[in-house]
Amino acid sequence: MVTETDDSDSSGRIRIEDVVDDDIDDDAGESLVEGLDEKLNHLKRKIQGERVRSIQERFEVNKKKVDVHVTTPFSSNGGDDSDVFCTRMGKPLCKLTGFPHGVAERDYVPTKDVLSGSVRLPSAERIPPYTTWIFLDRHEFHSDVLNQNQRMVEDQSVVGRRQIYYDQHGGETLICSDSEEEPEPEEEKREYSEGEDCIIWLIGQEYGMGEEVQDALSQFLILDASEILERYNELKLKNQQNVEAFSDSGFKLGISLDKGLSAALDSFDNLFCRRCLVFDCRLHGCSQPLISASEKQPYWSDYEGDRNPCSKHCYLQAVREVPGGSSSFASKTEEKASEEGCSKADSFDNPHDPAGGVNLPVEKTNTGSNNLDSSSGIEQDNKTREKREATRLEDSSDLPNLSNKKQKTAVLDTKMPLVNTISRLEGDQGGKSETSEVNRDSGASLKELAEYIPDKTVHDGGSSSFKPEHGSGKGTMVIAEMSETSQPSTEWKPIEKDLYLKGVEMFGRNSCLIARNLLSGLKTCLDVSSYMRENEVSVIRRSSTPNLLLDEGRTDPGNEDDEVPPRTRLFRRKGKARKLKYSTKSAGHPSVWKRIAGGKNQSCKQYTPCGCLSMCGKDCPCLTNETCCEKYCGYADKFNVKWKQFSILYKFNPAVVFNTGARKVVKTVSEDVIVQRVNAEAGSVRALLLVENVIQMFAEIAGLGLARFISCGDGSLGEAPRRGEGQCGNMRLLLRQQQRILLGKSDVAGWGAFLKNSVSKNEYLGEYTGELISHREADKRGKIYDRANSSFLFDLNDQFVLDAQRKGDKLKFANHSAKPNCYAKVMFVAGDHRVGIFANERIEASEELFYDYRYGPDQAPAWARKPEGSSKKDDSSITHRRARKHQSH
Amino acid sequence: MFTIQKKYEKKTKIALNQTCYCMRLGKLRQEQFPRDERFEMSKIALGNESLVGSLTPSNKKSYKLTNRIQEGKIPLYSVVFNSIDARFFNCFVSAGGNGINLYNCLEDGGISSLHSYTDEDKEESFYTVSWACGVEGNPFVAAGGVKGIIRVLNVNDKIIHKTLVGHGDSVNEIKTHHMKPQLVLSTSKDESVRLWNVETGICILIFAGTAGHRYEVVSVDFHPHDEHRFVSCGMDTTIKIWSMKEFWTYVDKSFTWKDDPSKFPTKFVQFPVFTTSVHTNYVDCNRWFGDFILSKSVENEILLWEPQLIDNSPGEGTSDVLLRYPIPNCNLWFIKFSCDLSLNYLSIGNQKGKIYVWDLKSCPPVLVTVLSHSLSKSVIRQTAMSTNGNTIIAASEDGTIWRWDAVTK
Repeated sequence: MVTETDDSDSSGRIRIEDVVDDDIDDDAGESLVEGLDEKLNHLKRKIQGERVRSIQERFEVNKKKVDVHVTTPFSSNGGDDSDVFCTRMGKPLCKLTGFPHGVAERDYVPTKDVLSGSVRLPSAERIPPYTTWIFLDRHEFHSDVLNQNQRMVEDQSVVGRRQIYYDQHGGETLICSDSEEEPEPEEEKREYSEGEDCIIWLIGQEYGMGEEVQDALSQFLILDASEILERYNELKLKNQQNVEAFSDSGFKLGISLDKGLSAALDSFDNLFCRRCLVFDCRLHGCSQPLISASEKQPYWSDYEGDRNPCSKHCYLQAVREVPGGSSSFASKTEEKASEEGCSKADSFDNPHDPAGGVNLPVEKTNTGSNNLDSSSGIEQDNKTREKREATRLEDSSDLPNLSNKKQKTAVLDTKMPLVNTISRLEGDQGGKSETSEVNRDSGASLKELAEYIPDKTVHDGGSSSFKPEHGSGKGTMVIAEMSETSQPSTEWKPIEKDLYLKGVEMFGRNSCLIARNLLSGLKTCLDVSSYMRENEVSVIRRSSTPNLLLDEGRTDPGNEDDEVPPRTRLFRRKGKARKLKYSTKSAGHPSVWKRIAGGKNQSCKQYTPCGCLSMCGKDCPCLTNETCCEKYCGYADKFNVKWKQFSILYKFNPAVVFNTGARKVVKTVSEDVIVQRVNAEAGSVRALLLVENVIQMFAEIAGLGLARFISCGDGSLGEAPRRGEGQCGNMRLLLRQQQRILLGKSDVAGWGAFLKNSVSKNEYLGEYTGELISHREADKRGKIYDRANSSFLFDLNDQFVLDAQRKGDKLKFANHSAKPNCYAKVMFVAGDHRVGIFANERIEASEELFYDYRYGPDQAPAWARKPEGSSKKDDSSITHRRARKHQSH
Repeated sequence: MFTIQKKYEKKTKIALNQTCYCMRLGKLRQEQFPRDERFEMSKIALGNESLVGSLTPSNKKSYKLTNRIQEGKIPLYSVVFNSIDARFFNCFVSAGGNGINLYNCLEDGGISSLHSYTDEDKEESFYTVSWACGVEGNPFVAAGGVKGIIRVLNVNDKIIHKTLVGHGDSVNEIKTHHMKPQLVLSTSKDESVRLWNVETGICILIFAGTAGHRYEVVSVDFHPHDEHRFVSCGMDTTIKIWSMKEFWTYVDKSFTWKDDPSKFPTKFVQFPVFTTSVHTNYVDCNRWFGDFILSKSVENEILLWEPQLIDNSPGEGTSDVLLRYPIPNCNLWFIKFSCDLSLNYLSIGNQKGKIYVWDLKSCPPVLVTVLSHSLSKSVIRQTAMSTNGNTIIAASEDGTIWRWDAVTK
């Protein structure tokens, strides 16, 4: 816009008098506020004057462009052979001067001469009509749904427009839009022009926003008074913000550390499809309901007891470096640890123990305390360490079964942390400096630290025996580096805090893992652990809210009786099903037009992952909908969190995430899975399922196709696909093992689908794909399609209808027949309903495919009602009707 | 042929009677724009008004009827001057029913018939025709109609050069690229726009899909100087600007393609760079005017508006309607306007048989003249302006062709 906003007098060349409409004077009425009307009119004139000027300026600019470019595209190319036409101009067929000057009554010039010399164009065979369609190998939401950001807009035409349909038989007009049926709930926000804003603002500033002013404005602008007030307030806000923004330096690109994690994760939360594992999923749309795993799997903390220090900054190192000056603490630690060991029933009676949430089998605690003895010994004497370790190794091997197993598991687990190269590289450094650093740094909270540490050490004790490669000299580090990294630890940026919370969610209170996976480069393990300590109270409280992960009981650290092992608590928690976002209001719409129906008469229910918190009970939406719980139900969250983590690490670039992240995730989780298997023995049966689910999910990512060996996703989790009558086509559908379909002119009507190779009975032929639309939208489209006499609607389930009109595959062209050679079956494939087309009988190569559309008694089109064979004629009649409709003006 | 005629007897009333509230520079009579409460919401906001032309003719230029020929009784839908090859600037082609006729405008006001082509299929009814050019410079004519088949005629050799099959339904308009006259765009009822190479008969690109038109595409126009761009409009009330830039390699490829045209890797373009709804009803004609767009719906007016594209977010953007050219009695769809080559004037017929000539170079709009004749009562579907703007050919639905010549003062 080249609008000039200077205050120059708007008279001059602009014809204001013409510009201003008469009705202003009518609206004026009695002025309640002195000079208001005058002012309004003045403003209006000014704005309109500016507008006129702006239009004229832009017009002039554009006019120059027109002139420049008009002269260029002259191409007077004189071809060699093109003279023939030139000579023709000299020798025309005839000269027509049918209308000499003036009026002639008999002005009809017979065109016979012309026609006699006419060149006949041999008739060309036309192809059956169709609407341009896009091949689709999977169902897809109607595009508007995606564009409109989580809103289920379902309009036939483009974004919120009316579809106007003129009937060919006379004046009937159909407006197939929402407005005629029901007022759209989402009110479209009125867009205010600059002029309106200007008036509202200036008048508001000058006269205030009294009622009279509002009235006058509302009359003047033909708006509601309330709207004006609202807008005025908006403007006010905007102005303030502008002022602030002026003084504020704007955002930087990329992830601002000052922004919260949730802001940064917004795209992930909204755009990542949990079911297809892609961003911008076109099937499930964006902003899916977040089904979160309420039943938190016992996370890594279970075996954290077997952990090695993750790096030189590890808090474990800090503990181990605490000898000498803080030996008293260490001894205290020891005592406490042994106490814990003895008490057995629970090791969390320590009132200040913040790590009470870590759940450990009793045996393990035992081991831990055993180890602790020796490890504290190590702390006092580094030289004897290796030796002792060796002995401890033997000790631990003597331990009873469970702990043994536990430690074996731990081997798997700890391998990863050990790969940490940093710790090796900087292995041999002076340790004392670090100790002092820690002392200095921790200051007053040192005592707390000491009290906190033992618990961790308990869990870590076991692992110390498995790290001979770490060498004894490790754990010491450069003071410079320590201070460098510990310095920022004092201030935690919002995103770091959020990341930390996520970390707690994922790994429990394992600062090593949190620091390594989520805060690498930002915070060290030590930072994390000290932060964990400092913020224990608030952290728990906050982290418990978003996902209901942690027990409420634990939010109160002062509760000395809070000693129940948390796992039982977790299992005790009963599920509050989350409110599902997909409403079913569109369900049950009567279908008034012909539609292809699936194999069954009653439609299936749309599967929506349930959000059951623990075991699915009677209230499980999956159960009530008679769908099966799928792997996407309630407990997928852990996995999601991991994905979040990776997408953060890779700066939210989906491509990168998928290239680099996937492999990593798979690795991480496959280990995770093993651990969970172990837990499953002690835990619930469902955990087993979990394990498999997780395996499935990651197998899919890795492209191993492992899922296919485990489950075909037809709802029978874990069952091997059976052979025989109930042959499940899911595998073939998933793997797209379909028959080659050819498109050709049908023997019946319009286009037809033909088979390239012969197939036997019940063979899977292919999938019927299309846009997913709601029943309401389908009703609307159906009306239009019925007029065009071609409909590609397919009832999928209680929520969605497939429309293959614009997007689909060749199978959409298969025609109806009362004696079909194919049948369509709605299949439940990995949580989605999909339509498979199967052979009803043996079909020979190049035979046309038919299936039963299941028309209502009088819904079928003419050709479908008649016996097959005589249909050629009908075909032409159909096309003829189409043709006429076109020019219906 | 009889049936074809018959089907136009029924004329559908235009359903939506919209009113545009605008600043009126001229004295526009109220009756022509009755106020309708339903469209109160579409009131133009203060500061977004557009300038409306006055219907008082300036008579800056006047035309007189010099010829009238009756081609037949078949409605004529299209008439176009050759603006590609300077040698043939006086030639025009008309299409209607199953016939395509080429004429030459003689200096003395006469019209000579050059060629005549008749499709043997009586079902065919051509809706549109356009001049094109072979690579060797031979004048081509491309015509399409109800059958959805595009006939490319080499009028030099009087033969069918190519028959382009692919559209799933009737073809509504064909336009030729200004700089590469072998490229034509065709719009169709099948909701797509297709780019063809008439020399090789290849369908290069298909513009349809996710963000494409949702109903018949009626009109299309190549950008005057950005060879990759074009604008399309249709019955879904939207106007879309498309870019072929990323796909231009396929255009080049189409010239050298030696294989069977059906094996050409035709690409789908699913996303336009800009979509807008400046109209609320069928849009049946649009044309670039510099970087602005002239477009017409069935609302008795032509709009000149500026598409305001947002650079980094294709598909979004706003449109600002600047000028309005009222055309009384012009609310049928499939009435198309035309301009001369330098875009000085615009001419359009209406359903009463009158022709309105507007001056495009003045702001606010100025009506140059209204052409009417007592015998001209049928709908004029399309007019053709010669390259210099001095001759206007009007194709009427009663099968007559009218020639108007500028009166030199």
